[in-house]
Amino acid sequence: MNRVFRNRPYDEEREIHGAAFGAAPGRSDLVVGLAAVAAVAVVAVVAEGGAASDPAAFTAVLAANVATFVVAGLLWRNSRPSSLIGPLLLVEGLLVAVSALAGSRGPVPHLVGVIAGWAATLGVAWLVVAFPRARPRGAAWGVLSLASAAFVCGELPLLLTSSRIPLGVPVGECAGACPTNPVWLVHSPGAERMLVHVEAMLEALSAASLVAYMVLHFMQSSRPRRRTLALLYGAMVPLAITFAVTSIVSGVAGAHVGSAGQAALVATQIIAPLGFVGALLYARSYAAEALGYLSTRLVGEPSLATVEHLVRSVLDDPLARLVFWLPVARKFVDRHGRQVKPDASAEDVSWWSLPQDGNPTLAIVHDSVLAEDPELLEAVGVATTLALENRRLHHDLVDTVQALHASQKRLVSAASEERRRLERDLHDGAQQKLVALRIRIDLARNRDPEAAPAFSSALGAIGVDLDDALHDLRSLAHGIFPPLLADEGLDAALREAARRSAAPVSVSIDVPGRLSPECETAVYYCCLEALQNVAKHAGEDAAATLRLCKDQRAVRFSVVDDGSGFVQDRDKGNVGLTNMADRIGAVGGSLTVRSSPGEGTRVEGRIPLASAGFVQDSRVAHPVR
Amino acid sequence: MTENGSYRVVVAEDSFLIREGLRAALEQQGDEIEVLEYCSDLPTLLRAVEQHRPDVVITDIRMPPTNTNEGIQAATTLRASDPDIGVVVISQYVTPHYALALFEEGSGGRAYLLKEHIGHRIQLVGVIREVAEGGSVVDPKVVDVLVEARMRAKNSQLAKLTPREREVLAGVAAGKSNSAVAASLFMTRRAVEKNINAIFSKLGLRDETEVSRRVRAALLYLAEQNFESDLPED
Repeated sequence: MNRVFRNRPYDEEREIHGAAFGAAPGRSDLVVGLAAVAAVAVVAVVAEGGAASDPAAFTAVLAANVATFVVAGLLWRNSRPSSLIGPLLLVEGLLVAVSALAGSRGPVPHLVGVIAGWAATLGVAWLVVAFPRARPRGAAWGVLSLASAAFVCGELPLLLTSSRIPLGVPVGECAGACPTNPVWLVHSPGAERMLVHVEAMLEALSAASLVAYMVLHFMQSSRPRRRTLALLYGAMVPLAITFAVTSIVSGVAGAHVGSAGQAALVATQIIAPLGFVGALLYARSYAAEALGYLSTRLVGEPSLATVEHLVRSVLDDPLARLVFWLPVARKFVDRHGRQVKPDASAEDVSWWSLPQDGNPTLAIVHDSVLAEDPELLEAVGVATTLALENRRLHHDLVDTVQALHASQKRLVSAASEERRRLERDLHDGAQQKLVALRIRIDLARNRDPEAAPAFSSALGAIGVDLDDALHDLRSLAHGIFPPLLADEGLDAALREAARRSAAPVSVSIDVPGRLSPECETAVYYCCLEALQNVAKHAGEDAAATLRLCKDQRAVRFSVVDDGSGFVQDRDKGNVGLTNMADRIGAVGGSLTVRSSPGEGTRVEGRIPLASAGFVQDSRVAHPVR
Repeated sequence: MTENGSYRVVVAEDSFLIREGLRAALEQQGDEIEVLEYCSDLPTLLRAVEQHRPDVVITDIRMPPTNTNEGIQAATTLRASDPDIGVVVISQYVTPHYALALFEEGSGGRAYLLKEHIGHRIQLVGVIREVAEGGSVVDPKVVDVLVEARMRAKNSQLAKLTPREREVLAGVAAGKSNSAVAASLFMTRRAVEKNINAIFSKLGLRDETEVSRRVRAALLYLAEQNFESDLPED
């Protein structure tokens, strides 16, 4: 089963750091580091007093080998805590360190060191064929079987028949004073000679099969996997070839490897673990590159198809799919809305999902090879999630603004309608009753004015009071809504307002029709406010011009005076002017006020035709009920 | 007018309260007014006019079917079909716009009266008589409103007029023709026209139509008169 469906809490600090920057070194790293240093020290001590022909070279080679395995192991463990590769590399480093005992003069430690060296060699083979999963499959088992056979059928019998223990590391060959073999059971020089040949051939065969495996496996791999394998195989192939060649030269041909051969073996041996480091760094840098690539292309509002296309190209997986979590329906759907179920049985497909607040948000269904590239998946998943989140936020924002505007318009419309209704209620109700009462008082006085002068004059006084009440009620009703505006529209209402203005106003109106009630109300009150400002603030001699017209695009109005003007202070604002702008803004228009001392004031507004609700023909009235 | 000198009237008012007030007010006039029919919408009114051929129509400004300005529509229709019939538009609106709209096609035989003044015996019969004779009346309160703003301003526009111009304007406001004004003031017709142009200019009425200018000038004058003498009659 290769399904990757991690559902980790995302709010842990370590997780965020781990995802973005790689884990910071922890205490266990320190322990491993110290152990490595101790191991190298042991190597040095053993070599110093041991049987190696060149103790300094022996120490340097082993120390370098231990160090590269430990560094690679730590990097892997920190970058991919769930992978077995890291711990295995550390174990490998330990085996190499223990193999230093081969340089000891004591027979038993010497034997232990030799066996550790064999194990280390087998371990490297295991790591290579199993990479990047740490679990070998298919042909890898064949390679491992062959390598194991080399030890079982070659090294082991040789160990039992040889007085000298064969050593893997050429520089560690003992010079003369080799310790005796404690498990030398069979004394047969003939068998020993033959076994040396067999062992060397098996070794060479194993190494060759490893090379063949790497070449074939690389060629058969998809591009994402080749990316993963390239650097490791690049480091391992030279080692395996050198190993095979030296085995044949020394074991089969019986010739001396020579210092050039030894140097090549040493160099490839030290470099090989760096292949693991390289594979990891390459994966990381590719992920960073992918993140940058996606970030620059996912700006704006890409369609889901575009996002998926980009993800496919970055993952190098033409069948990759984005699936989205629907929280309410509690299921995943693809971009066409079809449900997608995480299929545990699918061999070649894996899932990667980004959890948020404990819930999945988005998953990528991908070639299972990509599961070996978690940095890349993380980068692609995060970039995609951010882009989609932005998209969603953008839509939310647009929706909110539109809803806000619609609600504002409804409010304005409702308020305007309500005021008209109120005015009409006053006119037809209270006002009419007062008028009828006023008539009846006059009629009562008319009946016999001479009969009771006191009564008649009392009625007269009531009549005068009633006139006052009527006057107040009329002012109130007119203030609530001018009936003229509802009945006859802006032209009549604005001319009336100009007539009633304390300052002289010349009027020019050319709008052959009616606007929507809320637009008419907004324009009317805006102009009224402007005219009142002229009368109040522009000075005694100020005169104003009121214009209202309509062109192809908008209804425009202006109130311009030649009065004293004022200093415009943007920071302070003016409640009256702000109200005017709000009124016009609420019906989708805009208002500008310009003024400066001595230059008069210019109030200009426009409402786009689309918002003005313009209807041709001035005879169209807006019936109230 | 009937043989015995009473005015034949058709009334149109959709509000029950006002109609009953009007009925009582007209009955108080005794023989001077004869009401032929009470209607409550525009089509009925026009049918009644055709049927009875009254001297005067008293109509609400706003009635069914549209409840907007049926009274003014009636006045406009009758101006064309029956120019001799006087029309009194009764209204609750003090807004001068409606009075001006009524006078748009000519002010002769037209009156704009506020409903609260219906019960005023002398005023009501005076208005009916005036329009029946081809005269024109505007409720003083409407003029009040028009002039109120101007009076609030530092200088009344009428103050700009010379005494002679004010006399000419008084004649215009009384509904007199230019010739009649000239005769009453012992001026030439040409001098009256010059004065009238000067009045229009000083009152800022250059841009409006002739009828509207005359009416507005008259309204302004009436307003000022009203301010000087307070309400007449009481």
